[in-house]
Amino acid sequence: MGKRITVPFGSQHVALPEPVRFVFQTENEKIVDVEVDVGYVHRGIEKACATKFKYMQVGYVVARVCGLCAISHTLGYVTALERLMGVEVPKRALYLRLLVSELDRIHSHLLAMGHTAEVAGYENLFMQTFRHRELVMEMLELLTGNRVQFDFACPGGVNRDLTPEVEKVLREKLKLLEEKALWLKDVYENDFSLALRWKGIGVVTEKMAKEMNVVGPPARAAGLKTDARAEFNYLPFKEVGYKMVVLKGGSIYERNLLRALEVLNSIQMCWNVLDGLPEGEIKVPVKGLPEGEMFVRIEAPRGELFYYIRGSQKLVLDRVRIRVPTFSNIPVMKELFVGMDYADVPATVISFDPCLSCTAR
Amino acid sequence: MDFKSFRKKSPWILHYNTGSCNGCDIEILACLAPKYDIERFGALNRGNPKQSDILIVTGPVTKRAKERLLRLYLEMPEPKVVVAVGACACSGGVFRHMYNVENGVDKVIPVDVYVPGCAARPEAIIDGVIKALEILEKKGKEVELPRWCSVEVKPPVNRVKLLNRCLEELHGRRRG
Repeated sequence: MGKRITVPFGSQHVALPEPVRFVFQTENEKIVDVEVDVGYVHRGIEKACATKFKYMQVGYVVARVCGLCAISHTLGYVTALERLMGVEVPKRALYLRLLVSELDRIHSHLLAMGHTAEVAGYENLFMQTFRHRELVMEMLELLTGNRVQFDFACPGGVNRDLTPEVEKVLREKLKLLEEKALWLKDVYENDFSLALRWKGIGVVTEKMAKEMNVVGPPARAAGLKTDARAEFNYLPFKEVGYKMVVLKGGSIYERNLLRALEVLNSIQMCWNVLDGLPEGEIKVPVKGLPEGEMFVRIEAPRGELFYYIRGSQKLVLDRVRIRVPTFSNIPVMKELFVGMDYADVPATVISFDPCLSCTAR
Repeated sequence: MDFKSFRKKSPWILHYNTGSCNGCDIEILACLAPKYDIERFGALNRGNPKQSDILIVTGPVTKRAKERLLRLYLEMPEPKVVVAVGACACSGGVFRHMYNVENGVDKVIPVDVYVPGCAARPEAIIDGVIKALEILEKKGKEVELPRWCSVEVKPPVNRVKLLNRCLEELHGRRRG
């Protein structure tokens, strides 16, 4: 056995878009121990939500917890607030929220897939995936007015309506996107060298997933049936043809294939929303002050997102608690690394699609 | 030989996230991807401070990221430019006066170009990088230190000592 060597990965690293620090203890090529530090981006958002901002403003603040799943965070907060205050949201607003939430999921999944391909050494595929991802970004910009931080949902409804002109362009782009997504799924499923590189690497078994409380795509790729979209009724997913995708295996290959399949399902849901969008109001006024407590579960692109709020007849809430999907996925990552080759680490980390600005807030 | 005009042709980018929401970071990634393609200006994203010319910083600078940011800045060779991307890197944005943030990049290191927007658009980021290139061309080899820093620099510069003295002062300031 060789001598132990310490290899730091982060906080600043070219494969990471955000600071997280792993310190690996390696023996030859095998990892024997790992430490994780996720606290570089802690800003204190939960505290500020309970001291600085009024309850109507908090939705816009929590959107800045994470830019990748911005709609999920706003959606979690506004759903909790609406249920707490007994606001009935118009049907059209719910469908528009669903449309944006699914488009957001598509762009986040494509980003994760492309990024995994890049750190595994497939720069060409990364560029291709990102090229097709721009279609989704254009659609989001048309629909909401901004590319990333769109602040679409607000307490009582949504901020912007879908006009017929925009709908026409959306349909064209969605058709193009569907073609490209089918092609991408084909590559991620059948490419020989990708499968060789990814199959059987970083395997999360179903038992592990259950015991370590894995959520989102990694859990579904391991065969665990868990999805807040099916379990918690916050948007009309059943009406627009939601199907849960579950795969067996749980390696990097299955995680990316599952994302590709979910993208196709999301595109199908977007078609159904555009076809059957109900007429009516998009926003109802929210009056009064929140009292009591409420929690909701939302399926963010990375897994289950949990929101808890408590108010006591004041403009400022008493407590906003956010539990994010990456936080649940870190323990299993740590378990996976021990005994793994160092060369497989970046692809494994990115295939879990960690979001540290969510985790540290 | 005059390197000044060549330096502009292939600026390498170092990107550091100091607590942003990832919104600007994915827009920087989108800049590197085919549609916007910042590589047509010769810019490449390389994670090595010792080879980089442009430091792109996102985020309002959290207390823990502060030391790393200063370290990265001082490890880069002169001439170098700093581009602050996004509303929170410019002034703190929505995170201004939260208990763990420093309200903007210019509180820690000197900033040359500010790119506004939440999140900053890829076009704006590319424009910021081009503006930074003009500044890079004019800059010389002299060491530029943060405003709060009172360390004197005399050539020839011992970079290790300079880094240690600046970090000492940063830690002293934190205690005081």
